Amino acid sequence: MTPLRLNTDILLKEGYSEYEIDSDRNLEITFRGSGKCDVFVRITRADQVRIRSFIAEDADVSILFWNVSGTACDIDESHDVAADAKLTIAYGECNSAATHRNTYVSLRGRQAQALISSASLVSDRKNYSMNMVNFAPHTSGEIRNYAVVLKTGVLTIDAIGRIVKGARRAESHQTSRALSFEDGQKSTILPELLIDENDVQASHAMSIGRMDEDQLYYMMSRGLTPQQCTTLISTGYLMPITEVIDNGELRETLRTEMERKIAELCSM
Amino acid sequence: MKTLEIKNLHVSVEDKEILKGVDLTVNENEVHALMGPNGNGKSTLLAAIMGNPKYTVTEGTITYDGKDVLAMPVNERSVAGLFLAMQYPQEIPGVTNSDFLRAAMNVRSEQPVSLFRFIKAMESTISELQMKEDLAHRFLNEGFSGGEKKRNEIVQMKMLKPSLSMLDEIDSGLDVDAIRIVGEAINALRQETGMAVIVVSHYERFLELIRPQFTHVLVDGRIITSGGPELAMKIDSEGYDWIYKEFDIRPAAEAEQEQRRVTSIGTCAVRESVKAKEGR
Repeated sequence: MTPLRLNTDILLKEGYSEYEIDSDRNLEITFRGSGKCDVFVRITRADQVRIRSFIAEDADVSILFWNVSGTACDIDESHDVAADAKLTIAYGECNSAATHRNTYVSLRGRQAQALISSASLVSDRKNYSMNMVNFAPHTSGEIRNYAVVLKTGVLTIDAIGRIVKGARRAESHQTSRALSFEDGQKSTILPELLIDENDVQASHAMSIGRMDEDQLYYMMSRGLTPQQCTTLISTGYLMPITEVIDNGELRETLRTEMERKIAELCSM
Repeated sequence: MKTLEIKNLHVSVEDKEILKGVDLTVNENEVHALMGPNGNGKSTLLAAIMGNPKYTVTEGTITYDGKDVLAMPVNERSVAGLFLAMQYPQEIPGVTNSDFLRAAMNVRSEQPVSLFRFIKAMESTISELQMKEDLAHRFLNEGFSGGEKKRNEIVQMKMLKPSLSMLDEIDSGLDVDAIRIVGEAINALRQETGMAVIVVSHYERFLELIRPQFTHVLVDGRIITSGGPELAMKIDSEGYDWIYKEFDIRPAAEAEQEQRRVTSIGTCAVRESVKAKEGR
């Protein structure tokens, strides 16, 4: 795993690569991607980080940010996607510290595509602002957020899909879901679609709710404690985030990490 | 010997009393059939034994193996040996059958079940119930057909080996072959463990397969009469009318309809007001 402790400009190589952010200074990191790249970034320690990416024409880049920092992080990201390129960004947020993240994705070139997805086990403050902007025709942007909000957690998501005038046949979709297991958690999700073109497709779906009591009864009727039920359901809810990276070994590691964290936090 | 004893059980749902004093004793190795018209409390009785939070026990006792079942949370009832194969099994997206079942098996033993032993047991149960091989990796009941869900309940029963199983219309939605497969699986487990069974079914074919020694008829929240297998056969050929006559009772649905008829004056009132509006 390549450590990132200083401001760095990285030319991504094809295939799989991994990095670790471990710094208490302000950092600025730039990724430049062409071809097919799978990138895993573990955030072990960070204070203020600025991340930029430039995804070249025809590239297919997936970046999974896995936050295990024990202290609060403030992350500001901007991503630029050129024509016919595809960018997938995923956030795995199961740490017990606050995160403030601002993500801005520009779909610059014709037929550019991007997906931002997050899976959060919220036991502290998690504050995400996500902007997906379709600047060119036939571009397609999607935002997907899944969160399990625990007793001490506060989740705020501001998700904005914007289609500018002239971006004909563009698509902007978003889904945000927050699940809790008891009363008293705080979740705020603000889905917004700002559309300045007629010939487009756009949608948003949102749900904030408690776990279904019938499901809980069904699982308990086979002997599982309420805590085991919440752990299993949370794992099932959040695990799909690891699938964005095509690396079975990494997926297994992350699954084990996530299960351990979920079991630890859900038993509190 | 583990015995389930129910005494004077009263159960309500949203303040409506469904069970109005049920007494029932089920011993090891016994198979009891619960019969009765729809909507008269059969599923309510099973759900109350399992501890469904939607049902409130207002009076009476349930003990199993001498322990107070009503004092136990649902998961402890399961660990104590009770199992309910549900009429409408829940779909749980994101949780695979194998993760779910392994967790359920582990709460029953001090040592976690080894992966090897678990896979072996799962594979043989899947093949016994003739289910698709990928069952273990599919999400719990998600996207399953009605029949698959019912068979999956029996897969769980076989893996967890309860000492008393309650089967709530487990045969509905199953085709002829599947009914035979499920019936044989239940019989095999009974032979292996001496499991007791309470079965709710409307199909003679299924009852023929698992051969209950006792039959109870539940009408309007009470067990009106009990008998042997001959009672189930008589109901199958003659229906319930003779029971209503002999015991001078009416099923819950009819009693309710009678009440509704009394209140149907509302309809007339609407008609009157419409007529008045139209100036007739």
